[in-house]
Amino acid sequence: MASASDLNRPHLLPPSDINPRTDAPLDFPDRGFGALTADDYRVLGFMSGLEVHQQLATARKLFCRCPAGIRVDHFDTEVLRHMRPTLSELGEYDGCALMEFKTRKEIVYQLERGTVCTYEIDDTPPFEINPEAVEIAIEVAQLFHLNLVQELHVMRKQYLDGSIPTGFQRTAMVGLDGEIPFVDKELGIDRPLRIRQLSLEEDSCREISDIGHRIVFRTDRLGTPLTEVVTEPEMLSPLELQAAARLVARTTRASGRVRRGAGAARQDVNVSIAGGRRIEIKGVSHHKGLPLLVHNEAYRQLNLLRIREELRRRGVQPQWFILPPGNGDAEESDGVLDATAILSGCDFAPLRDSLDAGESALAVRLRGFKGLLLHRTQPGVTFANEFADRVRVIACLTARPFLIHSDIEGYGLEHALWSQLHKALQCEEQDAMIVVWGPRRDLDTAVREIFIRAKDALIGVPAETRQAFPDGTNGFERILPGVDRMYPDTDTPPVPIDDALVERIRLELPERPWEKTRRCISLGLPPDAIDRLLDAPWCKLFDQLQAEGAVAQRITYALEKRLPHWWREWGHRELPSAERLRPWAKALADGEVHPQACEAILDRLLRESDRPAEEIVAAYRSSEGDEKELAELLESIERDCAFLRVKEIEPALRWAMGRLMAAFKGKRTPEELRERAVKALASGGVQ
Amino acid sequence: MNDDRYKGYREPCLGLLQRFDVGVWYEVRVTTREGSFEGLLLPRSVTSDAHHIVLKLTTGYNVGLRCDTIVEMQQIGYREAHYKIPEQEFPVSRDKPRVKLLGTGGTIASRLDYRTGAVIPAFSPGELYGSVPELAEICNLETDKLFGVFSENMGPEQYLVLAETIGQTIEEGYAGIVVGHGTDTMHHTAAALSFMVQDPPVPIVMVGSQRSSDRPSSDAAQNLINATWAAATGDIAEVMVCMFGPTSDQYNLLHRGTRVRKMHSSYRSTFRTLGDIPLAMVDDGVITHLKDDYRPRRDDRRVKVQPAFEEKVSLLYYYPNMQADMVDALVERGYKGIVLAGTGLGHVNRTLYPALRRAHEAGVVVFMTLQTLWGFVQMHVYETGREILELGVVPLANMLPEVAYIKLGWALGMHPDDPARVVELMTTSIAGEMTEREPHDGYLVFQGGVPEIQDFLQQVWK
Ligand SMILES: [Zn+2]
Repeated sequence: MASASDLNRPHLLPPSDINPRTDAPLDFPDRGFGALTADDYRVLGFMSGLEVHQQLATARKLFCRCPAGIRVDHFDTEVLRHMRPTLSELGEYDGCALMEFKTRKEIVYQLERGTVCTYEIDDTPPFEINPEAVEIAIEVAQLFHLNLVQELHVMRKQYLDGSIPTGFQRTAMVGLDGEIPFVDKELGIDRPLRIRQLSLEEDSCREISDIGHRIVFRTDRLGTPLTEVVTEPEMLSPLELQAAARLVARTTRASGRVRRGAGAARQDVNVSIAGGRRIEIKGVSHHKGLPLLVHNEAYRQLNLLRIREELRRRGVQPQWFILPPGNGDAEESDGVLDATAILSGCDFAPLRDSLDAGESALAVRLRGFKGLLLHRTQPGVTFANEFADRVRVIACLTARPFLIHSDIEGYGLEHALWSQLHKALQCEEQDAMIVVWGPRRDLDTAVREIFIRAKDALIGVPAETRQAFPDGTNGFERILPGVDRMYPDTDTPPVPIDDALVERIRLELPERPWEKTRRCISLGLPPDAIDRLLDAPWCKLFDQLQAEGAVAQRITYALEKRLPHWWREWGHRELPSAERLRPWAKALADGEVHPQACEAILDRLLRESDRPAEEIVAAYRSSEGDEKELAELLESIERDCAFLRVKEIEPALRWAMGRLMAAFKGKRTPEELRERAVKALASGGVQ
Repeated sequence: MNDDRYKGYREPCLGLLQRFDVGVWYEVRVTTREGSFEGLLLPRSVTSDAHHIVLKLTTGYNVGLRCDTIVEMQQIGYREAHYKIPEQEFPVSRDKPRVKLLGTGGTIASRLDYRTGAVIPAFSPGELYGSVPELAEICNLETDKLFGVFSENMGPEQYLVLAETIGQTIEEGYAGIVVGHGTDTMHHTAAALSFMVQDPPVPIVMVGSQRSSDRPSSDAAQNLINATWAAATGDIAEVMVCMFGPTSDQYNLLHRGTRVRKMHSSYRSTFRTLGDIPLAMVDDGVITHLKDDYRPRRDDRRVKVQPAFEEKVSLLYYYPNMQADMVDALVERGYKGIVLAGTGLGHVNRTLYPALRRAHEAGVVVFMTLQTLWGFVQMHVYETGREILELGVVPLANMLPEVAYIKLGWALGMHPDDPARVVELMTTSIAGEMTEREPHDGYLVFQGGVPEIQDFLQQVWK
């Protein structure tokens, strides 16, 4: 038993975002993605985890009665808002909150009457939480073997980027601490995947544009229920992370009550390496790009740690980069210079144009940074981008470019001007300089951010949320929010979860992917086909057809070949009903139609939607009349050969087979037809 | 002690907590049949059921666990809750006007204790400076918390204290007064102050918030900033309400205290001037006047404070088939005045006539207002109206029903035994509660879906 004094302090701490290993592997060689083994990543101390967001296929949104899942590209009206950070008990703004406030963004919401009501724009309190969404969330939580909570408490998670008009997302914890089997033969993985939690939350707005001080959002998707599944950060290589992402997605989708299609599932990944810190990268919609993305992030962290090492070696001190608090007077501080006059006649067009337009330029001295701004951090990206990204996001500078630095040679400012600035800023040999230009009111913030980023360089990897780019690199999005931003929603009562409901869902629980894999193996499907089937939209349809063995294989191949083809042709993504396809599956299983006809029948079932399925299938069914018909056709072939005095077997056979296949494809095998044709031709004198 | 230790918990949870010797603010490991959970044991809301305990997890989420599934609870730490707001001194500058903020109980500004979710009100100048620092650029702010009641509990008792206090505050030389108030009955209090504090030399600005100040999207800060501007520097020396113009974060409107009404249960732009246009717009220090017939700021300290209120007054919202005993009951229970909110131009059904006659004969004063809210009582147009007039019912032009109710309470308080004076007072406009004319744009309830309105909405911030 612990003593009273021992207990009289907090023990439970939020999950740490520092990598447990502090020994940065600075000497690890630079290699591209694909050139590293799982063991190499182990040396790097690579750790990653996932937060997978999946929209649920409910009819309505989570806290209001607006329809869910409708996307519109027009709007009726706009509403303008700002976000104001609220104060935490420490008397300080939440780091993330403060940053957004610095941006002083005008946030514009575009509203369309059919998809959004006064709830989403925070003019009406929430309605009762959507019970359909709660049910699906409980089902998904059970699929992940999570410990269910017994009373949902809706919380507010603050987001000041404007993506939710209230300034917070309503979210409720549904289940905690689960495990699912994680097996990947190729990667040699056979262990449990630990799931930290599943919450039920409302989706945010779609961003339309973000230019300067104005960000515009569309609200159709806002409020759509989604589940967020968080894994433990246990994936130790990029490919392992990708496999885990697929497994989580599959397990969630096993519910069958989740949305599919563009934007319905999105994930955030978090990555750290030894000596680094958990960095969250937002908005990855495809699993394919995941490995490259996290590989690049691992190297970004390694490079930031190398820069830190060099700064330490040079004796650079954090207090060199602290500006006194103030408003609009950064240029009066040491290490900052109003360079507008010096640079007004310069040759560098972007800067000159800006100054000609009445804007200003400030020069900043970065003590001890010489040469480091060109240090590579990601493919095609240098350390200077870390500064530029942050300035662009927080100070809302829109010109491209809006800053230039002294490590660049042969481009930008002439040497003489740099020398002049060097002198005016009282720089020393080891110092670098950044010149930033734009509207006067934004430059103070810009300079402050440059100093903050310089100071953070001594930390190594600053806590940030970053965004994924299509080329596999990532960029600054915002400061990582702390757990402090979560507080109870006073607008919604706690929702007790009924045992009977949980039990009913448990009894009706759909098959989990690994269970399904086992069953598909027992059905006789080959592993690669199973793999594709599990991710396919027709997975459930396949189950409903209840096929086994060779027929099961034929059906899954037919579906994966013909359905996408049909969709492309018809411009939609509808699935046929199981009823429609059942006669086809049955005829195949009973051997009434020839396997050759499998895809042809499916095609006609899809296309000739007004013809009864039985009728279509019947046309391919072998019957007693067939043999007579075939005999007649063979006779006529024989007659024609005799009449035409055909002598050579090959062309004759081709001609005969053409006629036979046209009439009997699907009813007789080509082998049989060929055999009979040879016989008939022989009788007709062709040898 | 025990109350605090088990705050909000009742049986059967209470017994469970006692058995495992844990209380609120303990960090606990709870083993249930579902699995094990670790977190901080939070107090339970008294309005929630008795069967769940609430844990705050380290991720910040709260979860509820049902007590009959709990197998064991073990203390692993303790974390105290903090309810204090660190104060910062409100900066004083000589050249800025002095403004007094009077608090009635609504939360104007607040701070959140994230660990517990408690909303801690901020009210002293120091606390306010910590959450709305912009105020220091407007004025030298002083505050006085008069009561701690919710808007719905504001009533005559508070009106009287508020009126007296405002009178004193004016004498003390403040440049303006801001009254923080919950929004539900803000227009009732605004009307009461309009009659009880007549002809003030400085602005008296009522303000509240539709979204509480613990939310990033709150309207509280903008409302408070603009109300303070209006009080500190505005030229309109009347009782006003200062709340959001549109639902967008743009400008506030200053509404005359007798023409304003809360028109939506939850919209930010809920306060509207009815039957007229608002007095002015306020946008971060810029006050744009919309009307020129207002009482301007004066340098003197003269003000007519007349606090009085008769509580036996009722507002009867007429509906078809209303029975005569509704009126009789009020008379029998000793009510001294009744305001009717009639239909159309000021009508009630024939079945009420005998009761209205009885009321009149018993010395109860009865007045007619409109449940249409817009428009004038006009009882000469139809036979019905003329008949009702003959029963002694007095029409009140375009006075809003709630305003008429408040005014009648005040008038009866001023002249308890003089119905003739009361009628005279009621039919004389004191603070713009009745206007001579309704401008064409005094009634604007736009209808969505109509093409020209859709066009309009495309062009303005709603
Ligand atoms: Zn809605």
